[in-house]
Amino acid sequence: MVVLREGMCPGLDEDVVRDLLEDLVASDTEELAQKCSVSYKALLAIRRVLLAQHTAFPVSGLDLYEELVSSTAILSTSIPSLDKLLDSGLYTGEITELSGAPGTGKSQVCFATATHTAHRLKQSVIYIDTTGGLSATRLLQMLQVQTDETGEQTEALQRIRVFRVFDIFSLLDCLHGLRCGGLQQASLGGGSVKAVILDSVSAIISPTLGGKQNEGMSLMMQVAGTLKTIAKDFNVAVLVTNHMTRGPGGEPQAGLGLSWSHVPRTRLLLERSDGAGPLLGSKRTATLVKSSRRPCHIKAEFDFNRGSRPEEGLLGGVRVRDGSDP
Amino acid sequence: MTETGAQLFARLDARRCLTDIEAHLFPEDCGPRHGEVVELHGLEGTGKTELLYHLLCRCVLPVEAGGMGVEVVFVDSDYSLDMLRLVTILENRLAAGLSTGRPEAGSSGVCPEEAALRSCLSRLLVVHCGSSSQLLLTLHYLDTSLSSRPGLSLLLIDSISAFYWLDRCGGGESVARQEDKLTKDYRITVFATSHAIRRNYKNVASSSSSSSSSSSSPYSEYEQPYLCRPWQRLVTHRLLCSRGMAGANMASATCADKHSKKQSFNVRCTSSSSSSRGTKAHKSSSFYVTDGGVVFV
Repeated sequence: MVVLREGMCPGLDEDVVRDLLEDLVASDTEELAQKCSVSYKALLAIRRVLLAQHTAFPVSGLDLYEELVSSTAILSTSIPSLDKLLDSGLYTGEITELSGAPGTGKSQVCFATATHTAHRLKQSVIYIDTTGGLSATRLLQMLQVQTDETGEQTEALQRIRVFRVFDIFSLLDCLHGLRCGGLQQASLGGGSVKAVILDSVSAIISPTLGGKQNEGMSLMMQVAGTLKTIAKDFNVAVLVTNHMTRGPGGEPQAGLGLSWSHVPRTRLLLERSDGAGPLLGSKRTATLVKSSRRPCHIKAEFDFNRGSRPEEGLLGGVRVRDGSDP
Repeated sequence: MTETGAQLFARLDARRCLTDIEAHLFPEDCGPRHGEVVELHGLEGTGKTELLYHLLCRCVLPVEAGGMGVEVVFVDSDYSLDMLRLVTILENRLAAGLSTGRPEAGSSGVCPEEAALRSCLSRLLVVHCGSSSQLLLTLHYLDTSLSSRPGLSLLLIDSISAFYWLDRCGGGESVARQEDKLTKDYRITVFATSHAIRRNYKNVASSSSSSSSSSSSPYSEYEQPYLCRPWQRLVTHRLLCSRGMAGANMASATCADKHSKKQSFNVRCTSSSSSSRGTKAHKSSSFYVTDGGVVFV
């Protein structure tokens, strides 16, 4: 008896085994029975077992709903006007995208969300930094605004796990690691992982795109698929940042093209408000571009207070203007 | 395997025909019959998934609430199914449908709305797929569940193009073959969404030189199908979704004059089903989205 298993001989890798499996399942069972003189019944049984092992299990909508109701959490971004725009925050099980030109506050929103989740909600956060833009000082600064106790600050910082990856293959490695047990491991140190922040997704994917390469697209969709699986299976909120381009008519658009545009469930476009102060405009406008819950194209304004003025910025250096519809 | 004519009839007749699933969408007498495939195609944010929810709700809602009371399989290869949204739509529809109906169902302990919602949701089967081979095997597996549950009459796939970039070379053909088999054997109706992810560059180049022609057909740029040929042969109805008019300025104009602040979506249907005898029938319709789901105008 020979067991067909990947790695048995050099040519027989996982893909070949999967192809053989697909062919076996797709072939006509009656014909196959005649060809290899195996009884039809036995072949049917094999087919049934193979299918049972490799297919996705159908779930009743009722069970799915009940599970969802008991496990869905909404994470606040700690910026009230953004929360209002997002229908009270980041939903677990979904990918939310922030896109905007450089300096529109994408990373700042990520920092604010990370510190808020780690400190107020006492949950772990995984922060994947692909640009080297994560500044621990800034995180600490935001925490100092929220609490004076050094112990609490240390605890909150410990709940934020940072991964630094600078190319797409290490990103995929990192995501697969998280998927296969890394998330549970990270959650051992108090509080389960509720948020995965990827800042920024475009920095890592855009170098692989362009020209006539399909590999880049394939890699991008793999990243997207893994992020979605992580979001759903572990019930975490995924927050990614993306750059911004201009469409043919000059209107702002999220980067990474059409294929990526289908990936995030919710997308916010961040822009600098016009007519801001002469030095650095700290006012930002967020526009809801894509959402399945709220009408699109509503706007909200928020304000970054870059200087450390804790007496004003109760919310971690982010001062809030009231949201206004257009 | 052989079966008698009576058995064949018993197997096929139990399934409900979904021709009248949505009169607004399809041309006259061209609703999707047994075993036909409808493709929903469009850019992001053009209401494809919302339309699917609408059709899904219409199917799972009980007859007294304006639905059809049939069972549905939702193959979610994109992780795009938002149960909360679906439940919101169902609740709204149920409230609208049942408020005029019977006064009190009187089920023990559970309020009637909740019970109705639960019975609706139990008519839905959700399958999550993570790769194209899993999708293929799952479709094979559906064989058995379809033959054991005669109430199942609609298969929704969101989205069929999810793995396009992952296995471009020749991928998808076997999926199309299996789907073909499913539709023939069990006379199930399939709705599948495909994302517009390839721009037709030839068209863009020509339209930039003559901008007037491009504005007349806002669809043309993304219209070209890119999935494999067997799939294209399989599709009998194509619904092209688009948002508002072409540009942002037009969208704001429609917002201002008609239904204040509501984004409208357009759908154009091209049917080439057997009933229309070779000729293609077209129909355009538009809808807007509210808390209670899709409303046609």
